[in-house]
Amino acid sequence: MSFAESEGPPTKKRRFFTDKTDILDSSLGAEPSLPDEIDAFPTAAVVEPYEPNGFDLPNSGIIPGTGGPSNSEEPQLNDHIPGFDSETFESFVGDKVSPDALKQLREASGDNLEKAVNMYFDGSWKQNAAAVPVRSIGGGSAPKAMTINSFARSGTSGGHEANGTHEKAESPAIEVSLKDTMPEYRYVGAFGVGAWATRSGTTLLKHGESVRIERQKIQPPKAPVGKGKGRPAVTPLKPNSAAAKRVDVIVRFTNPNGEEVGRLPRETANWVSTLIDQKVCRFEGTCVYAPERVRTNDTIFLQLRCSLLRTAFDNRGFKPSENRKTGIFEEKESSEEKELRLRQVALVKLFEEVSLLPSKTSETTAKHKREGLLQAAEVAEQYENSKPKKSSSAENVGSSPSAEEAEDGKELEQDQLDTLYKKAQSFDFDAQAAEPAETFAMDLRHYQKQALHWMMSKEKDEKDESKEASMHPLWEEYAWPTRDMEDKDLPQFKDQANFYVNPYSGELSLKFPVQEQHCLGGILADEMGLGKTIEMMSLIHSHKSDVAMRLDGATPLPQSVNSLPRLPAASTNVERAPCTTLVVAPMSLLAQWQSEAENASKDGTLRSMVYYGNEKTANLQALCREANAASAPNVIITSYGVVLSEFNQVAARNGDRATHGGLFSLNYFRIILDEAHHIKNRMSKTAKACYELDAEHRWVLTGTPIVNRLEDLFSLVRFLRVEPWSNFSFWKTFITMPFESKDFMRALDVVQTVLEPLVLRRTKDMKTPTGEALVPLPPKSMDIVDIELSKPEREVYDHIFTRAKRTFTANVEAGTVLKAYTSIFAQILRLRQSCCHPILTRNQNLVADEEDAAELANTASGLADDMDLQSLIERFTAVTDDAADTNVFGAHVLAQIRDESDNECPICSEEPMIEQTVTGCWHSACKKCLLDYINHQTDKGELPRCISCREILNTHDIFEVVKDEGHPDTKWSLQRLGSNSSAKIGALMAHLKALRNEQAGTKSVVFSQFTSFLSLIEPALTRAAIPFLRLDGSMAQKARAAVLTEFAASKKGVVLLLSLRAGGVGLNLTMAKRVFMMDPWWSFAVEAQAIDRVHRMGQADEVKVYRFIVKESVEERMLKIQDRKKFIASSLGMMSDEEKKLQRIEDIKQLLS
Amino acid sequence: MAALPKRIIKETERLAKEPVPGISAVPHEDNLRYFDVSIHGPQTSPYEGRDGTVKHTHVHLSNVHVGGIFKLELFLPDDYPMTPPKIRFLTKIYHPNIDKLGRICLDVLKSNWSPALQIRTILLSIQALLGAPNPDDPLAPDVAKRWKEDQEGAIATAKEWTRTHAMT
Repeated sequence: MSFAESEGPPTKKRRFFTDKTDILDSSLGAEPSLPDEIDAFPTAAVVEPYEPNGFDLPNSGIIPGTGGPSNSEEPQLNDHIPGFDSETFESFVGDKVSPDALKQLREASGDNLEKAVNMYFDGSWKQNAAAVPVRSIGGGSAPKAMTINSFARSGTSGGHEANGTHEKAESPAIEVSLKDTMPEYRYVGAFGVGAWATRSGTTLLKHGESVRIERQKIQPPKAPVGKGKGRPAVTPLKPNSAAAKRVDVIVRFTNPNGEEVGRLPRETANWVSTLIDQKVCRFEGTCVYAPERVRTNDTIFLQLRCSLLRTAFDNRGFKPSENRKTGIFEEKESSEEKELRLRQVALVKLFEEVSLLPSKTSETTAKHKREGLLQAAEVAEQYENSKPKKSSSAENVGSSPSAEEAEDGKELEQDQLDTLYKKAQSFDFDAQAAEPAETFAMDLRHYQKQALHWMMSKEKDEKDESKEASMHPLWEEYAWPTRDMEDKDLPQFKDQANFYVNPYSGELSLKFPVQEQHCLGGILADEMGLGKTIEMMSLIHSHKSDVAMRLDGATPLPQSVNSLPRLPAASTNVERAPCTTLVVAPMSLLAQWQSEAENASKDGTLRSMVYYGNEKTANLQALCREANAASAPNVIITSYGVVLSEFNQVAARNGDRATHGGLFSLNYFRIILDEAHHIKNRMSKTAKACYELDAEHRWVLTGTPIVNRLEDLFSLVRFLRVEPWSNFSFWKTFITMPFESKDFMRALDVVQTVLEPLVLRRTKDMKTPTGEALVPLPPKSMDIVDIELSKPEREVYDHIFTRAKRTFTANVEAGTVLKAYTSIFAQILRLRQSCCHPILTRNQNLVADEEDAAELANTASGLADDMDLQSLIERFTAVTDDAADTNVFGAHVLAQIRDESDNECPICSEEPMIEQTVTGCWHSACKKCLLDYINHQTDKGELPRCISCREILNTHDIFEVVKDEGHPDTKWSLQRLGSNSSAKIGALMAHLKALRNEQAGTKSVVFSQFTSFLSLIEPALTRAAIPFLRLDGSMAQKARAAVLTEFAASKKGVVLLLSLRAGGVGLNLTMAKRVFMMDPWWSFAVEAQAIDRVHRMGQADEVKVYRFIVKESVEERMLKIQDRKKFIASSLGMMSDEEKKLQRIEDIKQLLS
Repeated sequence: MAALPKRIIKETERLAKEPVPGISAVPHEDNLRYFDVSIHGPQTSPYEGRDGTVKHTHVHLSNVHVGGIFKLELFLPDDYPMTPPKIRFLTKIYHPNIDKLGRICLDVLKSNWSPALQIRTILLSIQALLGAPNPDDPLAPDVAKRWKEDQEGAIATAKEWTRTHAMT
């Protein structure tokens, strides 16, 4: 421990630092955030005299503002004020020091405060050792300093992090006391190493001589001269440095004379250098064997005695503000991440070398093999290396890691996802339940009350008292060795038999790492239909902020001064909104949230507000601030789009949230992200915007916390600000890397430990211990309705089919399938459309609601020029054109038809006729009977004749009788059969009419992925006098809400036409009892989701689902494809675009076979 | 056998509830598509089973028909009523439109069939055919020829056959 002899003269350095003019002149010295730092020092008044020196940090080679934890030590490092203030000293060491000891210290240190502090801690003064300054590390004030630093940082970055520091402020007390007993460094073990000489000479080193192990850093070119070799302690520890100079791992050793003798072998130096650089360890060497005449490259055997530095235990706890230092609108991660990983590897190696085994590991950690960890880290390194490294010199500039982020994270295989979910679903059916507040107007099911209890305890951060404080699963416990390598007793310290290591991050701790989550929220991941919204509403009612409680207690006195609205002028910053819960939901769900909020609340107990579109003019800050709490909306509902656009606005104002007065100007009591998988991509702007929303309690609702990759979960965790997982480097090290190195189970185990305290997830098919379903849903039947295409339709279909097949085969032969993918896909699309309605394939304006729609319009022009197809379609339209106006029939004809309508069908004897249809000679029968008979005759090659009068029938002149029962006197009209209608529409109409006859007033939902098809269904509904509504992606939010309200309110058997896209997610359509799926989607999961809009909680009756599938067509084959599990995965976005294409080509092959 | 269509059930019920005078059709118990039919020879026809010169007195009063009663069998095919029922005389009859095997030449049973026709209407048509033989569209050429050449002799034979075969 005598580094000082060979180092650059300290005086020189000190002189440099104390020279104030130097500082002023130095460009390095100017740091914009200085004032903040001064202000931020209130708790450390004693340090203030040395503040000016503190400013000199830059000159010591540390670039300002890089925020490395080691920064905090620097003030002491540079303290060099003549004189020795014992009070200051004591404040540094955090202990009372006896006057005797003080005297001794002063002598030993030559009145150098810095030295004295160090000596005090390393105990060297007691032995009256040579008066050497020890490595200049921080004393007991370090934790304090750290707080200060982070405080300062939060001050500079717009104050949005102010909350983070609240949480932290509590911890230092214990830490300080622990560290008091921790010596500056403490022996952990020793190991031997064969080093090599870098010079020749005789008796450079003898057996038993001690050897100094040191790191030499290449100084930045601009570094001030005169620092000498630079001692390890001064080695800049700016997080970036490790990354920037990763190649430099040289560890030299010098003999007692200070002459460099050699270096440690590379493989040892690799990690030893990290430990030294990051101030984790110190190494003292002893020469075991060295040849008398040393030649360069000779092997010299050393024994290295390793001690963990106290600094290693300082500072490196969870770093809340570090984690969030992403500034308001920017990201930086990579250097920190690398430092972490290096330390992790180094520590694991160290423990391996000194054969120190954990005395206690958590169950989870035990499973994870040490080697696996190293492997993971190495993989990480390769991974890093394989990526073109961005310039890391200036980390504030352009260091957004987005380039590599876009693709990180592999997809989970379905079975892995299943495993994960299974693990996350361990729901305790005996969990406590809570009763909602009285203002809550709905009845909760038992499991919903359990959710309420869980959520309330999460928000109140109630620890489960029954559970013992368990060790953080990622940590390992190690016992300090009691004897050193020579079997000598080592000094022991009170209450310090153990230390704790997190092998995943390389963190060290003296404190027992308790597993705790400071997140006052969580992930409510109940499966769709279990009532997440209701559960959340019950929480909003049942757990309110103190402010809100006070307000509730006091009988409303709106005239009281305090509750009068205040002027917004004073607002300068983010304000608390103690009574407001912000709900962010997809646009289509805004109205639903509002109505649920109203339904769930007794009158007047909840003010809700949709913050969207025109309503956005309100100044939210003024509305919701604490002063206006009495009138503030309790629930603000907004969309992801609004969040994003306001985020951009705030960003454009350089993060000035307050004056914007919008969503970002408040710190809400609670935020709820609905359908939170919207932010699954952490690099998406929406996700970033959501991260920046401030709230005391943060919740995400999603039925699928992990859609397909583990990173999906990260984004949620990041939003929730769950430490330490919200740090991406942390996440990457523990989860992404093991996962990518195929150590799935470990990664998933870790994920589970992350999820377990955060997630509540129940599924619909969960059974209570007594075997009852969690949510008894009424039954659902699903029928496939075979559709037979009419002849002209079939001709169109066959034509397109042949064409598509030809194109495909040609491309397969030419090997150009991928290239022609779009065109092939377009043809398949046309084929699918022709199953719905031939006109769809033709109409350029009605482009399919399908991903490649834009390209399709172009590629489909190949079909557009196709004259054969043209004529086929014309034939179809000729047959179906509604040329004759049906109202030309005289009243007497209608009267006669009306009289007959109650008669039985002459063919099937059904009474009354089903879909009464009349011939041109006005003879009636059921529609089906009549058509069957006509077909029967034509099949036999006969001319169809009337059933009654044997008149030859013009098949064009067959009319269906339409009764509009909506009116007081039923209106009668005739509708030419098949006019502009396809077989599918016909089938749909038949079902709807039958439904009307059997259960008038039953509402139905009709799904199609082609909005243009919906447009063709509309006139058919109109003609059949079936009332309908329509909701598709093109509609504005207001219009959608209106449609949903009308659909819910109507007493008639309304039909809701929904595009699969717009209606697949979130909507609650339980007022309908019938679902008609007009066309199959590639994966049934998407259809199932749509069906679940109707068949979900709240549905009181049996739901009947009809899927219309054209016989002997691609649709039938698509059903087969749906059965293939893998394809379900791909359609959910689990594959890359390229993989998707390949997969689709496989499918197309099957379709065209 | 597939479930009996509503139409057949209805027809059967109606034949039992509102019988047509002079006609009866009763389904077999083991095959409801198979009917035993009997048709009374129409009045004033050679198949009435009386001497045409005898002034007709009401024979139906007692509901006991004493004249010729012709047995037929009737079968409703699977695609009935798209296709006509299959029907045949079991009782021997001397008629230009009915052959030795009992097959009937009647347009509504063939090209003029319509699903709007029923068992009842078909049997009435057959009864009418007995009253108005049409030798111009013969099924039994020899009978038709004689009918044309020697109508009285033919009618006498028809009466003779009726007494022999249809009145036992």
